[in-house]
Amino acid sequence: MYGWIWRHLPGNAWVRGVIALVLVLAVVYALFQYVFPWAEPLLPFGEVTVDGASAGGAGAGQ
Amino acid sequence: MSSRLSARSLRLVVRTFSELCITVGALIVLFVAYVLLWTGVKAADAAEGEIETLHSRWAQEPAALSPGPSSAPSPAPYRDGKPFATLHIPRFGADWEWPVLENTEARTLQKGLGHYSGTARPGETGNFAVAGHRRTYGDPFKDFPRLRPGDAVIVNDGTTWFTYRIAKEPYRTVPTDTAVVDPVPRRSGFEGPGRYLTLTTCEPEWGSSHRLIAWAHLDATRPVSEGKPPDLTG
Repeated sequence: MYGWIWRHLPGNAWVRGVIALVLVLAVVYALFQYVFPWAEPLLPFGEVTVDGASAGGAGAGQ
Repeated sequence: MSSRLSARSLRLVVRTFSELCITVGALIVLFVAYVLLWTGVKAADAAEGEIETLHSRWAQEPAALSPGPSSAPSPAPYRDGKPFATLHIPRFGADWEWPVLENTEARTLQKGLGHYSGTARPGETGNFAVAGHRRTYGDPFKDFPRLRPGDAVIVNDGTTWFTYRIAKEPYRTVPTDTAVVDPVPRRSGFEGPGRYLTLTTCEPEWGSSHRLIAWAHLDATRPVSEGKPPDLTG
């Protein structure tokens, strides 16, 4: 997988290294900005309210 | 020939599998770092911004003209998701200060403490009920179990410092027990109407099976113009 990506990057080893680093940073940014904020409310740490109506509690779903 | 081919494809499978394992491991480490550290950074930043919003609003308003909790005939309703007060609990640290925002939605609680919509305002007769994260998003209520009777919980709404006193040690209940934020909260030991405050957070620390509740009653009020109450200065 990673070998395949490496082979398909253009340029010499230095150029490839820089591009690979940029790719890694882009992935980490996307994770912190979009994926993790979406996934975090699925964990139970946000349920801090008493709420009779919904089982998840007001702090969970919305 | 065919044995060399199968050895190559086997190596490819093993290599891909191990790369996947490393990727999943790295994802988990990153997610833990996000939940434990980054949510705290975001919350501290957001809370600071909300407190600054409050201070600049209070500086503009002619708040000094109407000191006291009930001198205004009908105060404007709190705006959803917007801050309206700061909360101070010296037991949690001398500089422990969090904004209180209207409603208890998840997005609100990521920026500070949440006021249960429909419960009383600070200093009013009834129950001023506030929810907060115990863990993640800055851990505002991390030390919740350390609250003891007599501890001060201080609210500043821009015109008045309201000093509430914790009535009893934190009470553990189930998430559906909404009677704990009633005007006269059940099991609080309070009898009859009064000026109460309720704090809620999750229990256990990293779980959601229960809730931890703390009740307090209004002990003293002090106009902001007279400076901080003794519990914050001493």
